Amino acid sequence: MTQGSDNPLEAYVRAALALQGYTFEDAEIAEITAQFARLEAIARTVFDWPLPFASEPAPVFRP
Amino acid sequence: MAAAVCIGTGAGVSPLIGSAADIVRQIGTGARSAASVLAETKALIHTRNSDLNCFTAMTFERAEREAAAIDALQARGVPLPPLAGVPYAVKNLFDVEGMVTLAGAKINAGNPPAAADATIVARMSRAGAVLVGALNMEELAYGFLTENHHYGTTRNPHDHTRGAGGSSGGSAAAVGAGMLPITLGSDTSGSIRVPASLCGVFGLKPTYGRLPRTGTYPFVNSFDHVGPFANSVLGLGLAYDALQGPDPADPACAQRPVEPAGVSLVLPRGIRIGILGGWFHEWADPAARRAVQLAASALGATEWALLKSAEVARAAAYIITGAEGGALHRPRLIEQYEDFGPSSRARLVAGGLIPASWVIQAQRVRQQAHGEALNLFQHFDLLMAAAAPAVAPRVGQETLLINGRSIPTKAGLGVLTQPISCIGLPVCTVPVWPGEGESPAERALPVGVQLIGAPWCEGLCLAAARTLEQAGIAEVRPPLNYAAAKFTR
Repeated sequence: MTQGSDNPLEAYVRAALALQGYTFEDAEIAEITAQFARLEAIARTVFDWPLPFASEPAPVFRP
Repeated sequence: MAAAVCIGTGAGVSPLIGSAADIVRQIGTGARSAASVLAETKALIHTRNSDLNCFTAMTFERAEREAAAIDALQARGVPLPPLAGVPYAVKNLFDVEGMVTLAGAKINAGNPPAAADATIVARMSRAGAVLVGALNMEELAYGFLTENHHYGTTRNPHDHTRGAGGSSGGSAAAVGAGMLPITLGSDTSGSIRVPASLCGVFGLKPTYGRLPRTGTYPFVNSFDHVGPFANSVLGLGLAYDALQGPDPADPACAQRPVEPAGVSLVLPRGIRIGILGGWFHEWADPAARRAVQLAASALGATEWALLKSAEVARAAAYIITGAEGGALHRPRLIEQYEDFGPSSRARLVAGGLIPASWVIQAQRVRQQAHGEALNLFQHFDLLMAAAAPAVAPRVGQETLLINGRSIPTKAGLGVLTQPISCIGLPVCTVPVWPGEGESPAERALPVGVQLIGAPWCEGLCLAAARTLEQAGIAEVRPPLNYAAAKFTR
């Protein structure tokens, strides 16, 4: 696995993969980065959505 | 191919197996035996499955035993259970005692066989249904096609050059092809509703938590639902009622008592039905819009409804799905990456890298979208929208073009279902035949319409579906390449 990238998304993907115990070749990292970029693009819709500060996440634990 | 032993068409092969209600009635009166229904089913499967690739395994020995047990009850004059002798099959992510649960994945092929049936498979057995096999699906339920790298593509019964949709593609195609009156599937983001739409069958995704998932292979715990497909609304209701009931083994199961819905499928007078606009109209092509229009006219629905958070709810579902699916499969992705299909493995790994803050934000969005939907149900009793943005795409087609906008097929087919499952609402999908399209082949294909209820209002969804069925707007049609006779509902 080659280290270092000028692309912040790829840099994040490489770091997160290492943190989670994955080892991949560069071609596979490029494919995973492309998939992560799609997720990031969709996630922007979620980031930008206005929410009340006190709004809670959906899952509720019921002991 | 063997000629099937069939009834009533004079063509040698029935266009569709009878409805569940017909089969139960015929066996109850002694007009037919469960063994003869099973023989017809096996012949239909033998004749048609090779074209479509619906099944990944048969369970005929078990089916013979279950059918014989029903015939023995009938011979003794004992009251028969509600699905007596009705043949069915299950998506291969349901545990079936003695079989390996594949979930469409090679990584599971070496697992030990299931020690017991999934809860809802056991409930089907208790209701007298006869299990004939396990059905193909998208690998690990991740995607809206059933173009499975390991177990092959399931094709559309109405056009074999097109896909069945997914991830429960085998379940929908087996009913659409007339092989079975009922199948079971699962729906995380649209995996019952999308293939039901593409294959022209009825499908029910109940409220999140209504039916137990115990003994099913998980994908996204936050969204996983299970439910039936059927060739009639009565059959869908019979199956749904048989599947209900609490199960403490599933922490998401709502532990509600059985609330029978299939017995009274009459739409109350004065019901308020809203047609979902905005996102749901923008992402529906002319055929899908026409299908909604036909159903709305038949139900007397004229008012538009707006779920403003539809787009962001879909995005939230996307993020949560990626994160949970990626986390679930991380150990196997590390050890067996090459054994995952090429279309899913990079997506799964990428999902597992999603930061926690994105997931938390997505869950907050989900909660807010749920609140908005509940407010909408203050004004409407039922909402409706297309179940897929277009008719079935061709096998291998990589993009859909919807009203001038391109979207990847594998994810885009769920663009109209994902916002609804994100907030767990019950939906009955009904098959409508809009007759729209650029070619005669497209004009012969169905589009499903989602009938969306408030939480726990499955009965209303089913009643609206029955109204459309009785009006002749929603129906399961025999594929054109089989005899063109109808069956009695």
